[in-house]
Amino acid sequence: MEEVVREKFLKRRHLIFAAIGSAIGLGNVWRFPYMCYQYGGAAFLVAYIIGLFVIGIPWLLTEFGMGHYFQKGAPGVFRKIGKKWEWVGWFPSVSAFIIDTYYCVIMAWTLIYMFSSMTLAWGAGAAGAQQAGDYFFKTVLRLSDSPGTLGGLNWPIVGALAFTWIVIYLVIYRGAEIVGKVSQVVMTLSWILILAILIRSLTLPGAVDGLNYYLDIDWSVLKGPDVWFAAFSQIAFSLSVGMAGMYAYGRFIAKKSDITNNTVITSLCDTSFAFLAGFAVFSTVGYIMQAMGVSLQDVTIAGIGLAFVTYPVGISLMPALNQLTGVLFFLMFWLIGLSSAYYLAYAGYIVPLVDKFGWNRKKVAFWGCLIGFLIGLLYCTQGGLYWLDIVDRTVAFYTLLIGGAIASLVVGWVFGARKLREHVNATSDIKVGPWMDILIKIVVPVGLVFVVIYGGFMQDLKKPYGGYGGWSNFIWIILLVVLIASFVLQRMKSKKEEE
Amino acid sequence: MTPAAIGSIIFMAVILIGGLAFCFSRIGKGGGEWED
Repeated sequence: MEEVVREKFLKRRHLIFAAIGSAIGLGNVWRFPYMCYQYGGAAFLVAYIIGLFVIGIPWLLTEFGMGHYFQKGAPGVFRKIGKKWEWVGWFPSVSAFIIDTYYCVIMAWTLIYMFSSMTLAWGAGAAGAQQAGDYFFKTVLRLSDSPGTLGGLNWPIVGALAFTWIVIYLVIYRGAEIVGKVSQVVMTLSWILILAILIRSLTLPGAVDGLNYYLDIDWSVLKGPDVWFAAFSQIAFSLSVGMAGMYAYGRFIAKKSDITNNTVITSLCDTSFAFLAGFAVFSTVGYIMQAMGVSLQDVTIAGIGLAFVTYPVGISLMPALNQLTGVLFFLMFWLIGLSSAYYLAYAGYIVPLVDKFGWNRKKVAFWGCLIGFLIGLLYCTQGGLYWLDIVDRTVAFYTLLIGGAIASLVVGWVFGARKLREHVNATSDIKVGPWMDILIKIVVPVGLVFVVIYGGFMQDLKKPYGGYGGWSNFIWIILLVVLIASFVLQRMKSKKEEE
Repeated sequence: MTPAAIGSIIFMAVILIGGLAFCFSRIGKGGGEWED
């Protein structure tokens, strides 16, 4: 336990790189650009920037600041506020564990595609473009017809998943020092790769047409709730807040480090990466539209379909450097996934467990990774994609937003937003005023509750999520399991209590 | 490229580059060093 209490990032830049790495994830590439196109281009960007400053930055500042103030992970922070609030810290911690179990599977697909790109396994030219969808769903996933039909394991995915978890273990088992150093390398490489891919994409014929779709303006959407829902939800998912880990990263910040400046740098770098990724995505989409003579409506421009079908189509059709572009794209994808995955593992649930129970960090890291891998096997089955979608809806939407709203309320009203502000200002060059109290106490929780009601309950209670019929009810079951697990962990005796 | 797209790029460039330039310029001015 002593060893963990002294744990720190060796340099400030390690924290910045680690925090940026945790924030930049797959959603920056496959969700932000689509949201921008779908919700009015520049109008979405305006809503996003407003949301970033009134919800994203205050939320991230809260997590960094509280972790730094109490020198604890999320459950420890809320236990210090009051014993009965400890579950508020375990709630995102349990969610982080569950998210990691399927996030690593997506990384495993990415790894497979990195190698498949070397030979263009789905085919080259127009034939490859036609076969890209079948290659993903029938060859790689061997997708069954419903969540109820699990089928056998897809062994190549299992192998890639095992490799991914081994890498995560090697990064985290020695603690924050190595996490910081690795993050510096991983993030530098990711930025270089996205810039290389960006240049390649912008030089393709038809790229400008794609960009015009990406950045078109429709101001009328600002009057409706949809664009605000889209912007707020994207901010919530993108900054990796509400997943417990930023409390732990905040605790690893040096005593005199500037919390506010670190928060703003992390948020703006995350947004910059997403904005640049949009250029790469829509330039490629524009090229596909021109090369195949199709309209934008015929091209999948979001989610898993974008990464594993549309982009391979683009790679097949490229006039030159196909294989290299494919390898670089999927390597970049794997790296940005990696920095989020080890953040979820280490800061999300390993630090809280070591904090509370005083267990050996290396052993917790080993068992955490092994159990994460074993649970991840569910998503390596032929019905795995359906389960991934259902679980993702629960823990990367409902628990994240509900947990974030409750945490903001507890910090704002029980601990005291003013106390947090005073602590943050004492360490920071950029001072925040009393307006930050209002954001933490009212605006953040109200914004998150709006997203969860408007985009969650109002949709899923009306119609089963994803068209999975009764299987969609697992959303509520998993939500309940996370809640119960949080209370169970709160009730378990800590090492200190046992002594 | 359409004027709307160019306008969007300028808007984001001002916010992101301006914001990051401001933050990095404040490093070391009382709030912790880059290397601390």
